[in-house]
Amino acid sequence: MALYKHYGLLVIVSLMWMAGCSSQYVENSRIEEIAPVVFWSVDKGTEGKLKISTLVPPLIQEKKRLLSKEVDLLKQGGKEFNLIYYQELKQGQLRMLLINEELAKKGGIEKLINTILVDPDISMRVYVLIVRGDFDEYIKNQLTKQENQDYFLYRMLKHYEEHNQGEMSIVNIHQFILKDPILPVFHSDKNNFNYVGTALFQKDKEVMVIQDMDDEIFQLLDNDHFLKVLAIPKLSISLGRVRSNVHMKLSRDYSSLSLHVGLNARIEEYQGEKNIQSEEQLEHLIHEIEVYLEEQTSELLKSMQRLKVDPLEVGTHSLKPFSKELTEEQWLEYWRNMKIDVDFDIKIQPLINVDR
Amino acid sequence: MDEKYDPQMQNHQMSTWFDELKRKLNHMDDAEVVEHRMGNCALVHLLYIKTLIDQERLNEAIIQPLHRCAGNSLSLSIINAKVSEILSIEDAEQKIMQGFILLNDSVNDQWLGVQLENSLGRAIESSQTETVIYGAKDSFSEQIDKNITILRRRLPITTLKTESFTVGSLSKTKVVLLYIDGLINPEFVSLARKKIESVNFDQFLDSAQLAAFIEDHHHTVFPQLLQTDRPDACAYALGEGKLTLLVSNSPFALIGPITFFHLFQSPEDYFLRWPVASFLRLIRYGSFIVSLTMIPFYVALTTFHYQMVPLPILFVLLESRSKLPFSPFVEGFFMIVTLEIIKEASLRMPTKTSQTLGVIGGIVIGQAAVEAGFSSKVLIVLMGISAIAFFLVPNYQMTKSMVLMQVLLLILASFLGLPGIVIGIIGILAHLHGLTSLGQPFFAPIAPFYGKDWIDLFIRGPLIWMKTRPGYLKPLRKWRQEMKK
Repeated sequence: MALYKHYGLLVIVSLMWMAGCSSQYVENSRIEEIAPVVFWSVDKGTEGKLKISTLVPPLIQEKKRLLSKEVDLLKQGGKEFNLIYYQELKQGQLRMLLINEELAKKGGIEKLINTILVDPDISMRVYVLIVRGDFDEYIKNQLTKQENQDYFLYRMLKHYEEHNQGEMSIVNIHQFILKDPILPVFHSDKNNFNYVGTALFQKDKEVMVIQDMDDEIFQLLDNDHFLKVLAIPKLSISLGRVRSNVHMKLSRDYSSLSLHVGLNARIEEYQGEKNIQSEEQLEHLIHEIEVYLEEQTSELLKSMQRLKVDPLEVGTHSLKPFSKELTEEQWLEYWRNMKIDVDFDIKIQPLINVDR
Repeated sequence: MDEKYDPQMQNHQMSTWFDELKRKLNHMDDAEVVEHRMGNCALVHLLYIKTLIDQERLNEAIIQPLHRCAGNSLSLSIINAKVSEILSIEDAEQKIMQGFILLNDSVNDQWLGVQLENSLGRAIESSQTETVIYGAKDSFSEQIDKNITILRRRLPITTLKTESFTVGSLSKTKVVLLYIDGLINPEFVSLARKKIESVNFDQFLDSAQLAAFIEDHHHTVFPQLLQTDRPDACAYALGEGKLTLLVSNSPFALIGPITFFHLFQSPEDYFLRWPVASFLRLIRYGSFIVSLTMIPFYVALTTFHYQMVPLPILFVLLESRSKLPFSPFVEGFFMIVTLEIIKEASLRMPTKTSQTLGVIGGIVIGQAAVEAGFSSKVLIVLMGISAIAFFLVPNYQMTKSMVLMQVLLLILASFLGLPGIVIGIIGILAHLHGLTSLGQPFFAPIAPFYGKDWIDLFIRGPLIWMKTRPGYLKPLRKWRQEMKK
């Protein structure tokens, strides 16, 4: 009898432990009867509604269809999709949330993101993207050419996320709520879907998109600290395998910031006039690159200051042991008026072919 | 024999024994009663079962000496054979059935028994059930004395004790208990002795039957005594402080007490380099887990937890399951049963037809089931991996038990998903924790914890580090090394 008591106790404890993660009552999700949703595209609808779209069936060999619904609530959309398709659409495999830029500029995407975050079925690893243009039109057009476009899109984002290669800012949904958020912006039209840059957010509203050189500097300063290629057409040079080491120092009264960026790179291409095998001329070229990057970075930071956004999380440097924490408003005020001194220090390697 | 010898009583009985024995041997065609007249005209009756004795040795050891005999004493005539005196009619009956020749010495009015049993039996061959690449190639046979000889050659010490018992009212099976005195914990010996003595059954055809009477728990799927036909494994176990039981007419010895982890150990572990042996042992544990949980995992994931499947794999799963008429549970159960049928058939079929079975099994399981739409390709792959993983566990009895555990987990997974598998595994672990082998905890050295024994648990540590015998066996001599003088 005592044995059964032990077994019973063990089962109850283990069930309690497991239920800590989610409900112990499992839901019928036989994979041949469901259609797992891979992405949700959210757009601005008419009369303040949301227009959400997805592809069904997302995976199996069957003619795909794009479903769109205008709804007031995100979950309502999920439910209404079910009523128009024979398989049950499940959100447990949601991998991408595409938000239209118009909606992002209007604000309120935090609520959408929270809706997805609190769903225990949905993983934290959902990519969030801002789409400039009509994504529905793009995916509808692609269906005739490439059936599994949604899946390939996911593979593309997954590829660029891994190993932080510096090409794109890829953001998972849980990262959006942790700091001054950033999101990648993609441009979409009937035939193309391409990366534009990084959108900066202020209080859940998109305020700025940084592109091209600014985006690359942003990758070096914060996101990846690495760029496979940094092309500077103005100086006719391409630097490869650029690794950065960023050091920030705030003055005691928060009036100035000294930003020191150490770069390690190699010259992969040079089409300028200088003889880079000469040490003197190379030094000169490096100096030019440093000055150029310093100017660009200063400009970028100034625009961030103007908009009162701090995606580089400079504010965390104000935290010191046993000191009073600054409020967000106080910090942004300091940030807006801060004098920033940018210093780049570039080391080119290898230098074996240089005449000294 | 401990019976008291009473000459008067014996004389009275002697005259009736011959008739009594002849009556008992009635309707036995192979029983022979032969009369011989010795040199001095004394009449000798020989009683024996001709199928149990060695005819040539009968001539050499008894008939010829009797012809040549000039003296009066029968026992003095047969000097080149082992002669013992028969003290009771029961003794006479038992001995004649063990291959003894009974001689009636009418001069001294006594009965003598001469052991001339037929030593018919197979030669020492290599083990068919536990094959190793390196290591000794001999194995036990059905002849118990030969088995003891093989063991004694490996442990030529006087402290290797043997105790004989007879079990089975019909089979009269001889059981020999072996242990190293002064090393083994005496509790094991007394417990085993007590259990063997209390056995009450008619027939014992294999040591596994005896194990059923000696094991502490009869209703579990886990064997609590290790069955092996490898003498080196027995000798190693004896040296560790375990006991061994040899059963006549069975080539399998029983080793006890053992733990759950012994079921994953092979004698070869100790002959390979330790990193290699450790790696192989880890693979075995891994394959045990894989073979138990792979199909239940498939059922749980495809029935309840599609979220947990990585998207690229979900692609494959969805496609392979999209046209199947059965639920994942029915599909999994059907394949497990089919595989068991094929495995069982391959054991029972004659060797020459087993090739046909392989082809049919391969086609039925591999291709036809998929093409007919009874099973998904993914399950076939998983089934194949799990079936091969089963064979990595060296203990065959354990392999058979694992199928039952797999089905249990499968049923739980089909109702409760992954929590079901977790509950099943917790149940199995709790059950293992409650088992004992000859009174010793079956899940040692994990629970109860014996840290030093972990060197020979999941890994097989270097032999030079294995300085002590397993702690859970509580041996009288803890150290394996001799103290330097």
